Amino acid sequence: MADRIELKNLTKLYGSLQAVRQLNLSVGEGEIFGFIGPNGAGKTTTIRMMGGVILPTEGEIHIDGISMSIDPVEAKKRIGFIPDRPFLYEKLTGREFLKFTADLFRVERELFDRKSDEILRLFSLTDRADELIESYSHGMKQRLIIGAAVLHEPRVIVVDEPMVGLDPAGIKLVKDLFRRLADGGTTLFLSTHSLGVAEDLCNRIGIIHRGSLIATGSLDELRQMARVQASDLEAVFLKLTEEETSS
Amino acid sequence: MTDVLTLLRPRFLSMKNRMASAPRRGRVPVRFFYGAAGLVLWGALFALFYRVLKYFKHVEVFGDLLAFKLLAMSLITFFALLVFSGILTALSKLYLSRDLSLVHSLPVPSVKIFLTRWLESSVDSSWMVVAYSLPLFLSYGVVYKAGVLFYTTLFLNILPFCLIATTLSVLLVLVFAPVLPAGRMRSLSFVLGVLVFLLLLLSFRLMRPERFANPESFATLLLYLKEMGMANDPWLPTTWFFDSLRAALSGAVGKTLFHTALSWSFCGSLVYLTAGVARPLYLKGLSRSQTIFRRRPELPASRRLRRPGTFQWLPGPVRAFALKEIRTFLRDQTQWPQLFLLAALVVLYLYNFSVLPLERAPVQIVYLQNLFSFLNMGLAAFVLTAVAARFVFPAISIEGGAFWIVKSAPLSARTYLWIKFMIYFIPLLLLSELLVVATNILLRVTPFMMALSVTTMFFLAPGVVSLALCLGALYPDFSSENPAQSVTSVGGLIYMTLCAGFITSVIALEAGPVYTIFMGGMRGVSLSTLQWVWLGGSFSAAVTLCFLAFAVPMRIAVRRLREKTDR
Repeated sequence: MADRIELKNLTKLYGSLQAVRQLNLSVGEGEIFGFIGPNGAGKTTTIRMMGGVILPTEGEIHIDGISMSIDPVEAKKRIGFIPDRPFLYEKLTGREFLKFTADLFRVERELFDRKSDEILRLFSLTDRADELIESYSHGMKQRLIIGAAVLHEPRVIVVDEPMVGLDPAGIKLVKDLFRRLADGGTTLFLSTHSLGVAEDLCNRIGIIHRGSLIATGSLDELRQMARVQASDLEAVFLKLTEEETSS
Repeated sequence: MTDVLTLLRPRFLSMKNRMASAPRRGRVPVRFFYGAAGLVLWGALFALFYRVLKYFKHVEVFGDLLAFKLLAMSLITFFALLVFSGILTALSKLYLSRDLSLVHSLPVPSVKIFLTRWLESSVDSSWMVVAYSLPLFLSYGVVYKAGVLFYTTLFLNILPFCLIATTLSVLLVLVFAPVLPAGRMRSLSFVLGVLVFLLLLLSFRLMRPERFANPESFATLLLYLKEMGMANDPWLPTTWFFDSLRAALSGAVGKTLFHTALSWSFCGSLVYLTAGVARPLYLKGLSRSQTIFRRRPELPASRRLRRPGTFQWLPGPVRAFALKEIRTFLRDQTQWPQLFLLAALVVLYLYNFSVLPLERAPVQIVYLQNLFSFLNMGLAAFVLTAVAARFVFPAISIEGGAFWIVKSAPLSARTYLWIKFMIYFIPLLLLSELLVVATNILLRVTPFMMALSVTTMFFLAPGVVSLALCLGALYPDFSSENPAQSVTSVGGLIYMTLCAGFITSVIALEAGPVYTIFMGGMRGVSLSTLQWVWLGGSFSAAVTLCFLAFAVPMRIAVRRLREKTDR
């Protein structure tokens, strides 16, 4: 399986604070990788570096074999980036925002016409597509961002807290969409606080704590590492982060 | 009362904490600059009123009449300003503040929340009017050698005067809020306010007040002065304030107290009435303001933009940002008044040139026409600087929280900045060329001056836009609710200073050669080789300076945007 995401010695310093330290990781084609960790562990910083929103202090990010530091434009063309907070251009309509994204990613007109209607329908936004985004609820904005991120059919999707603000139907919709995309070969890298989401969706999980990746593997592998009998990820997560804190 | 004080406490604590914490780097000189500018303006206002009143005092028969008419008119202006600013502040404080959901979830009666917000709104909307009305009142005190009675009366009356104006605004807002959402009402008030202001400004200027400096026009003034003798409307709060001050200046204690009592009693009744109206209406209006509003009818321009083919010829990313900027601007009604202001500025600018009394000057007309045309290049460039400060400087900050879209888009910082540059450069270049060409036509200048003005503006405009974009990128403010305010930062100050230096240098480099060519042409003398070398050197230096002012800031801004990632 070819590596779609490769992080090499990724480090980020905020002044003297080491937010992410020497992160090494690779995620393959069609894989859903879950990134979990306590508050302030470095999840969002890692995700933002992968999306090209912030620069790493040290280290390399390769997306589909393209270096983010050498050719960020080409690397970003292959990414669908979904941030945790849905800040959008409030004075555009939902449909106009999709067109804006399509233009940025140079999506052909025919493909846009077909896909935008499909996305709006999928995310139940068709009725509100021609209203200004400022009138949307938090969940609607989040759905619109997810829709815009998949519009150009990226090879890699990087998501920070995908389910924040979504209702149960929205959560199910997004989970199904991610599974379908992964089945089609898209790689998904998602950070989440929700261990249930990670457990349900991810083929592999990485646990980050105080900026360092302390464990990676499937749920079974993590369970063995943590030496716990319990079947759920919560117990594994608590055990591993606790051990790391006390060591 | 305890609840009201508790609700006001966060405001005081925030103020205290802000003062206790160290100011951000670069804020000290900016605060000092604005503080000094404020003081200078205050002093200048005092000097102006003092001089005018001194002059009036020496005019027989009409002197006092003129002075008191000025006072009455000023009070009406202050009152109108207070009502207008009160409406905008009350809408924000009562219906649009971010903390309203928190405050209304607390176990406090809504009328107490209303009273707190009314107090805050009154203070916020009136302090500046009070501060800048003091030079006027003080100049009356000094010129008329007023005693303690005048200053006490002033203090006792200014408070109800402000409270009456702001409470009237609040009452107006309270009555309309349940019908019209507060956000819409704020935009509407702002647009209407600016339109009325523009109308007054234009009509005042088109009246050509400078004619009154001409003694021949004095005959028409007699009619006007006759009208001045008319009494003010006894039902207006401005009249009570005016009568109190006038009585205090003449030492009539009884009359002063009577008019002051009128102000206070009306103020008290109005506050009582407003609190009564707030009980049934405030929550209704608040819930109306929280209602999600449907998309408003489209503007013709934005409808055109949707048609396939419009802007279709542009590359994808350029089209994306160009459409986004235009739509965002056109759909934000608070931006429209600025376009009206700009249009009014252009009209006044051109009008002023059209009424220049050149024929009365003792100097040759052709010389004056071309001198004005030359100076006009600098003036137009300064107008361009001010317009760029408003529209180009916040161009990066305007992305706000959505800046992540730019950062994660497959678009280099260089391309992004070039897109922004082109979006603003073309309209601003057209504006500046319009200013110089139209004024040159009005001045009937020589073809040489016309060509020089057009070329100079063509070279100056990229530098001014590039400097605005660069400083805006170096000092962005993504968290502000109003990104246009980012120009009040230290970056805005540096931008203004650099632009002033840049424009002055280019104009100075051109001044000598232009004078030599112009005078040579007028006298029919050809230029020497040395003069041609000097001319070539000066113009080359001006072009090089323009190129540097354009290229260097763009390079710095690209580098800064690449690095500016740790938000």
